[in-house]
Amino acid sequence: MKLLRLALRTLRREWHLPELRTLAASLLLAVVSLGVVATLASRVERGLLASAAELIGGDAGLSAPQALPPPYATEARQRDLAVTRSAGFPSVAFAGERGQLLDVDAVDGAWPLRGTLELAAHGATSAGHGPAAGTVYLDHRALVALGLGVGDRVQVGGQELTVAAELVSQPDGGQLFALAPRALMNLADAQRAGLLGVGSRARHRLLVAGAPAAIGDWLAWVKSRPLPQGAELVTPEQTQQRMRNAFDRAGAFLRLTALLSALLAGVAIALAAQRYARRKTPEIALLRALGTARARVFALLLATLGALALPAALLGVLLSWALAEGAWRLAGATFVHVPTALPLLPAWGAAAMGLAVLAGFALPPLARLAEVPPVAVFRASMARRVRRVDALYLVPGLVALALIWSQSGSAKLAGILAVSLFGVALLAALLALVLLWFARRIAPGAHPALRLGLAALARRRGLSTVQATALSLGLVALLLLAVVAPALLEGWRRELPADTPNWFVLNLQDDQRADFTARLQRLGAQELNMLPLAVGKLAAINGKPVDQLHFADPRAKEWADRQLRLSWTGTLPPSNRVVTGRWAGAHPPDAEVSVDTMWRDMFALKIGDRMRFDVGEGTLEATVGSVRQVDWSSFRVNFFLLLDPAHASDLPHTWLASFYLPRGHADALAKLSRDYSNLSLVDVDALLDRVREIVAQVGGAVRWVLGFSLLAGGLVLAAALATSAAERRHEAALLRTLGARRGQLRLAAACEFALLGLIAGLTAALGAFGAGWWLGRAVFRLDDFVPPPVPLLASALAAAVVIMLLGLAGTRKVTRTSPMRLLREG
Amino acid sequence: MSEPSQPLLEARDVSKTVRGPEGRLDILAGVSLAVHAGESFAIVGASGSGKTTLLGLLAGLDVPSTGAIHLGGQPLQAMDEEARADLRRRLVGFVFQSFHLLPALTAEENVMLPLELEGRDDARQRAHDALDAVGLHARRRHYPAQLSGGEQQRVAIARAFVHGPRVLFADEPTGNLDQRTGRHVADLLFALNRDHHTTLVLVTHDAQLAARCGRGVELMEGRVATPAAAR
Repeated sequence: MKLLRLALRTLRREWHLPELRTLAASLLLAVVSLGVVATLASRVERGLLASAAELIGGDAGLSAPQALPPPYATEARQRDLAVTRSAGFPSVAFAGERGQLLDVDAVDGAWPLRGTLELAAHGATSAGHGPAAGTVYLDHRALVALGLGVGDRVQVGGQELTVAAELVSQPDGGQLFALAPRALMNLADAQRAGLLGVGSRARHRLLVAGAPAAIGDWLAWVKSRPLPQGAELVTPEQTQQRMRNAFDRAGAFLRLTALLSALLAGVAIALAAQRYARRKTPEIALLRALGTARARVFALLLATLGALALPAALLGVLLSWALAEGAWRLAGATFVHVPTALPLLPAWGAAAMGLAVLAGFALPPLARLAEVPPVAVFRASMARRVRRVDALYLVPGLVALALIWSQSGSAKLAGILAVSLFGVALLAALLALVLLWFARRIAPGAHPALRLGLAALARRRGLSTVQATALSLGLVALLLLAVVAPALLEGWRRELPADTPNWFVLNLQDDQRADFTARLQRLGAQELNMLPLAVGKLAAINGKPVDQLHFADPRAKEWADRQLRLSWTGTLPPSNRVVTGRWAGAHPPDAEVSVDTMWRDMFALKIGDRMRFDVGEGTLEATVGSVRQVDWSSFRVNFFLLLDPAHASDLPHTWLASFYLPRGHADALAKLSRDYSNLSLVDVDALLDRVREIVAQVGGAVRWVLGFSLLAGGLVLAAALATSAAERRHEAALLRTLGARRGQLRLAAACEFALLGLIAGLTAALGAFGAGWWLGRAVFRLDDFVPPPVPLLASALAAAVVIMLLGLAGTRKVTRTSPMRLLREG
Repeated sequence: MSEPSQPLLEARDVSKTVRGPEGRLDILAGVSLAVHAGESFAIVGASGSGKTTLLGLLAGLDVPSTGAIHLGGQPLQAMDEEARADLRRRLVGFVFQSFHLLPALTAEENVMLPLELEGRDDARQRAHDALDAVGLHARRRHYPAQLSGGEQQRVAIARAFVHGPRVLFADEPTGNLDQRTGRHVADLLFALNRDHHTTLVLVTHDAQLAARCGRGVELMEGRVATPAAAR
């Protein structure tokens, strides 16, 4: 208690010291930047997950090739979760003389738990749930193909069902489009018809929905035991690939920015703590000389630091909540349509992390302070002997590593950041030492002011190196945030230019192509791209029928059973890259197929393997000529299997078209759709919008964090300059006494700071370029991303000038130091 | 001792007043003195008598509130700080009680400092010579923390003499040293004063040291109690 009182008294007395205020401000900034971002990120993520849950029809679930055992549902119900079961399978429906292969989903009455099932009947649309027993919902294509209307009877799986409504849209896991026309039937009907029995090709799903904590608990339970054969978890994060990429990148961006500003604050804390320790040295020496035990000195220092840190951290938490709520009201709510509550936990986590940063960065100098020998009271130089290698100084490094590890959420991001920052620190320190060594060599022949400035830097070699390193680290973080992050975002945005195809057309027949193209062009459609589409099955590999082959990958069997989409083209599509083999071109001598990497892995394919496909009545055997890496996040039509046109174009096929049509043409398209009733038009604007909104949202959040980072950067600068202020003042007084002119001191300081700024700016620009290049490729998957060198260099030079100007402004007081000061000091 | 007609350093009716928390405070009042080239001159007095303030005024570190000070024939009170700095660089050397060596500089670099300010190319050689003169050539690469108090003060003396000043101001130069070391340092100061014909102005409350000076004044509460006279 007494110690605490003493600590509080000490704090009150020392509150006017700039280094203590810097410590408090840095901690506050670290907590606020981590807290705001973590709170916002958590809220955005919750919102995104909620919207993704709408896409899959539940918050989480399981999918398996057989019905999921009852405990999965029982466990969910015990946690107050809603449960629904469904099964998807292909089946042929008949109406009179007509038959049509359908993608059927058999669902119970609770489905969907999330999202909307949109139905149309008798000219009105409504939201609904799974069809009642004895009824079925068919989509427009199925109705047209079977020549049916609402109220008509249709036979599915041997059962006579009534078409209760037209299926307009359904939660479909974010699929761009289904291959076959779709139908929704009652799960019990499907079971009765034997469609889901042993040997069926149904994919069973069990979806649950409820409170996030209960979902997490249920998922933990599910993961705690082996999944049934062939079962996979269904989570919103695992929805459509396009969305998943967006989630990943958004998360990486947000964490990166928060992390960098926290590290910036850490550097400021370290510098301020060093300075505080130096200032406290005589006082501690006196306390020690008067008989205070080392442990008590350390406890007092810790208590003082605690008395400073805890209120600052608490204030940080409150500010994080307020700012995150403000930011959400300004921007967030427009993006995520699902209402979400302000998450309170992340800010507390940020406070804990801020305190860890403070402890890690401030503890070493303070711990050393407790070891000041009592004899230092007689000779200050006794206290200045700092051990060159001090294991305690590993602590901030370890804290930084732990922070990077815990915040980045990805080993790759953590590794790149850690290596880059360490590299920058090392480079800055080395460059500083080399330049200082060089400075000593050239100083004798240089201009007197430059010589003085160089001498000043060289004199404080240790401090100058610390300053240069801290400034470089601060600058590299700022450059990453201010220059590289927006460039990365721009790269991401460019992946989805304004004219990205937003409509897809399925089922276009050969004889409809010319007329349809002409009408689209009259409507103003752009970027029209048509690809042939054949539907077939994989029959054999290297002459062996697939049903006799065994594959290690369980997905292979499913894909072998499925109907496949095959296409052909003479030129490699834009979002594809050949990784093995050679692209066949338009006229290879023998039939060739190009497979994507997933297929290569699933079926253990290699160049030269032969694959046989059954398409309609015909077959085609093709040699694997190349393996492609496909960017599935691009909004282009992509295929796992691409054949060469010379050999494939005779296969029975329809056409698949994609095009961009500015919004506001829905009516004209509706007319087009009525005139070509066999076509399916798919609008992907909603999906595109969602991804674009994520990009915009991340951009907004990055700007927010950038604001904090600039403040943190300013603090680093102030703290770095302040580290040498005392020495500078003493030196200035001495030099004035020895007759140095004020201009001479100012010019010397300008040279000194310009050099310091140059070291910091150049290493930071190099570091940010390298880290950006690496991050772009390894984390954000932007393969052609090059950080913009000119803005980086310009920003680095501008930063150098700012460092010089601020340094000069900071030295104004120093150059005005009265030389009498020395005489008064004795 | 015959005095040259023009003193090198002259103070006429100098006073210094500052504003403190309790209002106006007269630190010096009506101080007059004259020091000629090559002389050694002591300013003595009790703590708080205004010795250091007077030294600062005489060296041009500060300006008097009233009165006039001439150094090398130049009126200090009429010059701005820049001009006084220029004058100091050319004419003045300092030795302080606490040595005031820069801790990050070696002995040699500390001594080079005034020469570097002048932009002289032979700074290193002259610093060597100066350290030689104070018997510390072998320790020129040592940092202040590696030197004893006496050695530090000898480095400070070398720094004060290295650029050949006409006046050397010393503020309690032996105040931080033991008697024996203090005597050695004082010997050195007076030897350099004699050999280089440098004027020495010394602030001290050590009567023995003061007694070694040619002349001096004693201050008491900011006034001259004992006028300057040949000793």
